[in-house]
Amino acid sequence: MEEKLLMDVIINPEVIPHNISYGILASVILIAVGLAIRSSIRLVPRGFQNFVEVLTEAILKLVNDNIGHKWGPQLFPFICTVFMFILLCNCMGLVPGFTAPTSNINTNAAMAVPVFLLTHYYGVRAHGIKYLYHFLGPIRSILALPLMIMMFVIEFIGHLARPLTLTVRLFGNMTAKHYILLVLAIISPWILPTAILALGVLVSVVQAFVFTLLATLYLAGAVEEAH
Amino acid sequence: MRKIVVFILLTVALLWVSAPFCFAEEAAAGGKGSNVYYYAIAVLGCGLAIGLAAFGTGIGQGLGLSKACEGVARNPGASGKITTTLIIGLAMIESLAIYALVVVLIVLFVNPFGKLLQ
Repeated sequence: MEEKLLMDVIINPEVIPHNISYGILASVILIAVGLAIRSSIRLVPRGFQNFVEVLTEAILKLVNDNIGHKWGPQLFPFICTVFMFILLCNCMGLVPGFTAPTSNINTNAAMAVPVFLLTHYYGVRAHGIKYLYHFLGPIRSILALPLMIMMFVIEFIGHLARPLTLTVRLFGNMTAKHYILLVLAIISPWILPTAILALGVLVSVVQAFVFTLLATLYLAGAVEEAH
Repeated sequence: MRKIVVFILLTVALLWVSAPFCFAEEAAAGGKGSNVYYYAIAVLGCGLAIGLAAFGTGIGQGLGLSKACEGVARNPGASGKITTTLIIGLAMIESLAIYALVVVLIVLFVNPFGKLLQ
């Protein structure tokens, strides 16, 4: 089902699909907001700077509480960028004439696979070769070799499931919201779709936060100290 | 008396559900035009999938919600933290139903076996 959207005026949807052009639009908006706030920054924030600082401080608290002081500042820019981008993309899907880039599975996979790769990269950087001990389970002596092998298989499958579930959760929520609105608009216009739209606002914000929270928890599990 | 009625109703329901499977054998030998049974069974499967997913999600989220209400009732000062944890937990449980929805959308719209029937 091909819809006519606002971006079709500028860019041909056959050449550049909708999720890419709207994703670039979201990136441009984020960069513009960052530069605009940076040019007129105040110590006591007011107005729009206040709103952005609320979001940033919420993610900073989340990262510091879960990852700790050593690796938190290094991982914070990536996590905050992911949160802002997904929040903006989800909310773009609520506006008529725009579509959510996150309702296409490719955009979500392009965010979930780097999270997966980063967990392993930072795990090896934090622990060296001892990172493999994470996969072997609670008992790590040579006598428990069958248990270690079984735990390795289970952890391997669990780790492979992580980018898949991150992708599909976000994709399913955004696409389901779109389809429910479409079907309800055909059956009973004007009142019921508005109620579902209000639910859609909640779902958009919550799913952005859940993606970020899960990414933070996976990274925290990879770089944690105690074991 | 009640047992006889229940038995008759169960037999009728069983026959009614298994009818597409029985007739598909005969109609498959009939060549084209028998594709309608694929779509009928695919839609039946999709309906069952979403129904079961919603059933499990309802129970899971209901249990979580009841414990959250109990927690807030015991300690109204912690209601902010409990509400945040509740919303995150509900989103996690919801995502299991969303996986079932994705499978249903694939069967209905992407139609993976469509080419085999043509």
